[in-house]
Amino acid sequence: MVLGLFRPKPVSPRLERLHSLFLFVNLTPAELAIVDGLLHERDYCADEVIFDEGEEGQAIYIVLEGRVAIRRDNDGEPVVLAEMEAGAVFGDVALLNNAPRLAQARAATSCRLAVFFREDFMTLLDTHARIASKISLQIARTLANRLRDVRIAPQTSQHL
Amino acid sequence: MTTNNHGPGPVVWAGIIAGTCLLLFALQKLLWLVVPFLLALVLYYMLRPLVQGLVLRGMGRDGAASAVMLGFLAVVGAGFALMLPRLATQLVDGQSSVERYMKGGINLLERSLRMLEAKWALLADAHIAETVVHRLNNLGGDVATHIEPLAMGIAAWMPSLLLAPFLAFFFLRDGQRFKRFLGSAVPNAFFERTLYLLHDVDRTARAYFQGLIELTVLDTVTLAAGLSLMGVPGALALGVICAVLAWIPYVGSILGGLLVVLVAATDFPDTPAMAYWAVMLFIFVRLLDDFVYMPLTIGKSLHMHPLVTVLMIFVGGAVAGVPGLMLVLPVLGVVMVIGATVGQIVTDPRLMARHRHARLLRKQHASLDLN
Repeated sequence: MVLGLFRPKPVSPRLERLHSLFLFVNLTPAELAIVDGLLHERDYCADEVIFDEGEEGQAIYIVLEGRVAIRRDNDGEPVVLAEMEAGAVFGDVALLNNAPRLAQARAATSCRLAVFFREDFMTLLDTHARIASKISLQIARTLANRLRDVRIAPQTSQHL
Repeated sequence: MTTNNHGPGPVVWAGIIAGTCLLLFALQKLLWLVVPFLLALVLYYMLRPLVQGLVLRGMGRDGAASAVMLGFLAVVGAGFALMLPRLATQLVDGQSSVERYMKGGINLLERSLRMLEAKWALLADAHIAETVVHRLNNLGGDVATHIEPLAMGIAAWMPSLLLAPFLAFFFLRDGQRFKRFLGSAVPNAFFERTLYLLHDVDRTARAYFQGLIELTVLDTVTLAAGLSLMGVPGALALGVICAVLAWIPYVGSILGGLLVVLVAATDFPDTPAMAYWAVMLFIFVRLLDDFVYMPLTIGKSLHMHPLVTVLMIFVGGAVAGVPGLMLVLPVLGVVMVIGATVGQIVTDPRLMARHRHARLLRKQHASLDLN
């Protein structure tokens, strides 16, 4: 009976959806269950500000449904740098340090986002280093892809 | 658009102090719930690393919380079973023991005052020893009349104290869910700031209660070592009781000190020096506690100016008596974090504007097909 507590449980549709996200693709069902307990879900209306440029970043966002525009102020004119669709991750620099946000995130359509709080990630580094390292690797891959994109097409860079 | 991270201003500080006083006033009416709640928090922060350890080894949070709480109850139960025969004996002749210790204390006081009378003619003329002992004997009267209400009070408190492990189990199991639940009630514009606030409250409470546990262990070890060096029987038990009593600022320390002196005076009736050594030891431990242990454990956790801490302890005592003394620091710590964050949010025009904008968008969205 005690050993049964450690036995893997069937994966719920919610965890399957999490597993399909780039950030969590390497996690096992047990690890996903732990991460799921740390994620917050938020609903935003179209045009609602998610975070502002210059704001202190406290969390990373994952688009579950809808689209999010990443915008920057260019002499008073907002310029859309990128549009994030379901599965995309943004605000990830905030997970690594508490530097100010480099762009504004705004809901392009009504959308649902999963939010991963930096302090929860930091706690994960202490308590579940294996999970945290897998997520860190995916973030590093995202940043590497962005660097490559910048070199290929600087105008499409996504500075968050 | 940047965050204003300056500390709280005078208005916010006034709000924090007023909020703390109001909470203390309200909480003293709910003491039957507050005390088990505080004990549950102590248990929660004590057992949480074990739950995290089991979760790390692949166990689900529910199973880990159940296993840790069952283990804890088993240890407490085993300890209680081992102590039961001794405890039962103590309870049977509890009244005579209390009378014996009271008598021991009065004898010590009488002997000390007679020594002073021998040295100071003024005191001898005033018959100070005789007067004080007579008054104490009159004040004491029949010990049973004081013990009965105390025993009844403890018996009435026991059921609510049993709430502590029950509450601690749910804190361990559902703490994260509760945090998410609280977060879900917060508007999007304030969400990140609120998450940080919840984290800060948790960090402050964890540091405070873990600090309290560390302080209790340090106090227990120091007192027990000192008392056993002096040869006082039951040194460890006395150390634990005094360390736990010290959770109540000032009053608890005085009670603990009195207990140690009574035991030393009664168990060594022919050696009054033992009681004086016990007083010296107790003062030494209190000084060590205030200047070394406290800053190393609890003091670090609240990031509070020592003057504010001391003043708030007096305010807590004035507003809510002994419960106020006990609750003022944790309540102030939590209210301080909440007050500082709410102050930051309401004085941030950009966040307020974003919130108004989001409300307008939701209103428009809700009535889209109605116009």
